[in-house]
Amino acid sequence: MDAKKIWHLIRFLITAVAMYAVWLLFSASFQPYSLIAGLIGSLLISALTYQEFIAEHEASLGSFMPRPIQLIVFLFILMFYLYQSSIKMLGAVFHGRVNPRIVHFRTRLRSDLARMVLSNSITLTPGTITLDLNDDHLTVHWFFCNTSHAKVAGEAVKGRMEQHLKRVWL
Amino acid sequence: MIEIGRNIFALIAFGSAVIFGIGGIIGLFRFPDAYSRLQAGALCGTTAVISIFIGSLILAPTWAIAARIILLLFFFLVSSPTGAHIVARFAWNSDIQPWRPADQRRTGSDDRSKE
Repeated sequence: MDAKKIWHLIRFLITAVAMYAVWLLFSASFQPYSLIAGLIGSLLISALTYQEFIAEHEASLGSFMPRPIQLIVFLFILMFYLYQSSIKMLGAVFHGRVNPRIVHFRTRLRSDLARMVLSNSITLTPGTITLDLNDDHLTVHWFFCNTSHAKVAGEAVKGRMEQHLKRVWL
Repeated sequence: MIEIGRNIFALIAFGSAVIFGIGGIIGLFRFPDAYSRLQAGALCGTTAVISIFIGSLILAPTWAIAARIILLLFFFLVSSPTGAHIVARFAWNSDIQPWRPADQRRTGSDDRSKE
């Protein structure tokens, strides 16, 4: 077997294991019928969809497998930022002093999944929406803008999330 | 005693969900353009739903149900900003200019020219 076939097999197995774990969690029964039906279903679906679940051009396992403890820490940080920015947004709804502006900046993250998670968390957190993600160039609509300098704006918007994401994915 | 504590914490979570939800709706009608309406609606709506999830997580009777709620929370954290991003991206690609406060408005240059 050459490297390409092994990579296909690894991606297929990861997809199947993830599907089966979700099935076990949601069915929550250990009857033989349920176990076998879930196994057949997850194998069939992962055979059809593993190309989309993990893209072929991903460099290695390290670029999409998160480190679990760091991921949980990141989720808690994300929750904290989410509540902080929501309270700020509630204030803005009532006093109406806002300064929306489009800012552009770059990210230092390298893996596709980490960039996707970064842009999603930017959309969730401090009053910002990601408009476009083009390789490493982010276009962001920022609601409480106080600068138009790209680097300063990037640091203010990404905050500490990028540093934490660097620890979660390579 | 533990039951009462759980009920109180769940009540706090549900109450904050109601406050965030109402704030998001008010923001949706108060702000002038598509982007800022989306900001208020998406952000406060997400926080409201996540508060409801946290409240039901506190009230969850067994670990299996708690694990399912955590999984739902994770899926919602992925799907909600993606939805907001798609609407914002469509607005951006169809050349809608973001609104500026009157004292910040400049004439003769717009943000798209930087691209």
